[in-house]
Amino acid sequence: MKRPVTLFVNGESYDIEIEPNRLLLHALREDIGLTGTKEGCSIGVCGACSVTVGGRLVSSCLTLAVACEGKEVLTIEGLAKDGVLHPLQQAFVEYGGLQCGICTPGQIIAAKALLDEKPNPNEEEIKEWMAGNLCRCTGYYKIMESILAVMHGKIATGHAGGKPAHEAKIQSLGVYKPVSKTS
Amino acid sequence: MAKQDFSVVGRRVQRVEGYEKATGESRYIADIMLPRMLYGKIFRSPFPHARILNIDTSKAERLRGVRCVVTAEDTIKKPWGAFFADQYPLSVGKVRYVGEEVAAVAAIDRETAEEALDLIEIEWDELPAVFDAEEAMQPGAPLVHDDKERNVAMVIDVERGDIEKAFADSDVIVEDTFQSTPQWHCAIETIGSVADYSPSGKYTIYMNTQTLFNARYRIAAALGVRETDVRIIQSAVGGGFGGKSCDDNNAIVAAILSRKAGKPVKLINTREEEFLAGSRPRVFMKIYVKMGFRKNGLIRAKQTRVVADNGAYSAKAPAITGVAALRHDTCYKYSDVKTQAYLVYTNKIPTGAFRGFGNPSAEWAVEQAIDEASHELGIDPIEIARMNAAEPGYVSPHGNRVISCELKQCIDKAGELIGWKEKRANKKPSTGLGLACTVHVSGKRHFGDYDGSSATIKLNEDGKALILSGEGESGQGCYTTMCAIAAEELGVPIEDVEMSHADTDLTTFCLGAFASRLTYISGNAVRDAASKVKQQLFEQAAEMLEASAEDLVARDGKIFVRGAESKALPVADVARARLFRNGGAPIVASGKFDADSVLQDSTRYGNESGAYNYGCQAVEVEVDRETGQVKILQYAAASDCGTVINPVGAEGQVEGAVAQGIGYALIEGLRFDEGRPVNPNFSDYRIPSMRDMPPLKHAFADSYEPTGPFGAKGLGELGMDPTAAVISNAVFDAVGVRIRTLPITPEKVLHALKEKDAKK
Repeated sequence: MKRPVTLFVNGESYDIEIEPNRLLLHALREDIGLTGTKEGCSIGVCGACSVTVGGRLVSSCLTLAVACEGKEVLTIEGLAKDGVLHPLQQAFVEYGGLQCGICTPGQIIAAKALLDEKPNPNEEEIKEWMAGNLCRCTGYYKIMESILAVMHGKIATGHAGGKPAHEAKIQSLGVYKPVSKTS
Repeated sequence: MAKQDFSVVGRRVQRVEGYEKATGESRYIADIMLPRMLYGKIFRSPFPHARILNIDTSKAERLRGVRCVVTAEDTIKKPWGAFFADQYPLSVGKVRYVGEEVAAVAAIDRETAEEALDLIEIEWDELPAVFDAEEAMQPGAPLVHDDKERNVAMVIDVERGDIEKAFADSDVIVEDTFQSTPQWHCAIETIGSVADYSPSGKYTIYMNTQTLFNARYRIAAALGVRETDVRIIQSAVGGGFGGKSCDDNNAIVAAILSRKAGKPVKLINTREEEFLAGSRPRVFMKIYVKMGFRKNGLIRAKQTRVVADNGAYSAKAPAITGVAALRHDTCYKYSDVKTQAYLVYTNKIPTGAFRGFGNPSAEWAVEQAIDEASHELGIDPIEIARMNAAEPGYVSPHGNRVISCELKQCIDKAGELIGWKEKRANKKPSTGLGLACTVHVSGKRHFGDYDGSSATIKLNEDGKALILSGEGESGQGCYTTMCAIAAEELGVPIEDVEMSHADTDLTTFCLGAFASRLTYISGNAVRDAASKVKQQLFEQAAEMLEASAEDLVARDGKIFVRGAESKALPVADVARARLFRNGGAPIVASGKFDADSVLQDSTRYGNESGAYNYGCQAVEVEVDRETGQVKILQYAAASDCGTVINPVGAEGQVEGAVAQGIGYALIEGLRFDEGRPVNPNFSDYRIPSMRDMPPLKHAFADSYEPTGPFGAKGLGELGMDPTAAVISNAVFDAVGVRIRTLPITPEKVLHALKEKDAKK
């Protein structure tokens, strides 16, 4: 039997009618229309469906929507404000932290949850935390660099009006060192 | 043409579609919703081999919310396939692997569709099955296809030179056998489609395919309609790696459901379905290698025997097996070679294209055999690689003609990055060094003797260019590369170039993303189109500046007479002037390119690609003798992809490829029990996570390919080709045991160490 539920997502409330076993992932994507949260493995392993509920990082494919009533849900769509990207979004674009982009919303939400909980993690702590977000394109090097760039204050925020400047600003951070480049 | 100063090419540009991806705005296949859309589900074979005696769908059809059920009776019952037509959209009379599509349902939601599957009743007659390629070749083995004697789908038998004499001339001969593994693409997005049939007879299909036009002709063939009755629109693609090149039935079944239901149907693979019958995994092969060497380390002879597992149907495995048999002969200088390769049907999922094609299997074997020889000869492996490395002008025994080649530079650079000399001189116990080389193509001529591309560029009246191309973006960064190439040619900033989504109704024919072909092949076509657009701009600007078109220069979005930059005209002004006049016209041009390669003849002689990319990788590992665990201390990759168009994208390709290579080497592989996959999910089939990635250094060779756009060649696959052999060679160097079957698990290493100790 469907029942009415009010979900509070990205600062807006949504009144929906759902079955008690409706997953948060499907409520977000199909009942509310926020398709930025992705389904990758459906068993809570890959992290593509990561969102925060009440500030806690969860896999929305393992979370019941009804259990989120009264709590604040944050998805990738809630990060950019007035066309200005969140520093982590900006970093992933500038530093090549994304390729196909399907895991990117989950990666960024997970990284945000990490930095909210611990603003200055070391590389080992980042690896440990982000190990729950699989990516098949990047090999993770540029995801790591994107997160470090935010931590080290290298990301200029405040780009108004949507798309930021085009120059990528990636540089060596010890993990990887480009030695020679074609002139 | 020599190197030149570029204004866009070689700059670190960010992805042109990065904003949409970072904000979740990009629309992937699962995000596409159409009015009245239904959800499809597939009934899959539970048996590896069985006859279908009867299918009763009546109960499923009566379930509330079900709109239609389809079986082979709703199809034309004609087989289709990339090279051999041998698979049906829905099983006709018989199933040949666990997961094969037998029937399908369209319903108002996923839950109802799933419920309906349980109501489909099928009477089966189970048949004896065969799961191992070598067993399948034995007389008396069950036949997967009745007309394929001994289950052999294809044989390659090629000898160049005089192999017997060459072995007789050799001072040292090594012989060994290696087994590669079924590795899955594991793109984080599974295969899916949304099909929308119109009663006019047209199928519009949104797909996350990486090869739109190949998909179109295969789907049209399977449906029995003309190509133009099918329109493929590419959604954002959440990773391809070869797995989304339309060798599976997903879109065809969606189309059949949509036609019968009269409504759009969305059909998305679950992760389990993706493993069972979605992306076609790497063709796993058993490769016997015999190589002869001179005392000084020069290769004298090479012989291989390849047995490749085709699975139940042929996707791209015929071409992949050909690559495994022949491609590596373009990496080193060979004169006398012999290869015999067998592609064999078994009752398992069809195998197919995965990043690297046949290379990661062939190099797993051959690069280890060369390493064995270096130990036997007492010559540093890096020296063996160097002395045998291909060079510009080399023609392989099978006709591959190498133009640019900086393999030696890559070997030196990989050695330098890993610290080969110093570490070798100061070897620590249980640590070891390994290296291997690789060659890859930039496009491969095998579809209808065409390895070309075409593109149209329209220059809008505001000066912004739009590239129309059917090659598509599958996550690898093709849009950004094409925009950079067009911007460079047009003399405008990259911000002033866009690329449209691929759509078979709106763009000219393009083969799509495979064989590392887009930078080189599509890049050349885009550059050709851009140069024609520039001609039209210059004609107009010449009039406006009262100058001759030959004296004009375009740079940073402005056109001026050489030396008179102060009187420059913005491109937008010229475009507007071209349009808004009596007899005016918008600026638009199409470009084309077909590689200067030669289709292989019946003896497999030809020149498969217009340009060859090279690479060398090296690693330092530490092996734990107590647990068998292999720890990568440092990884190094040097790549020759000609001019690097966008360093951010190029580095990302190598890094991602090495990650997949490490997965292939150490952890990945689907396991089967009597043909049934036992680990078809992400908790039992593990792919590398951030925690698994070692420190990586990489470099690009100083290289220029004269036939490439601004000197560029392909790169996408190169980075994963040699990785497994690199790591295995290092394990041998560290603890003296050689692992011959992938993946290199701690169990295998421990077992090999024990065996070695027992022999002492």
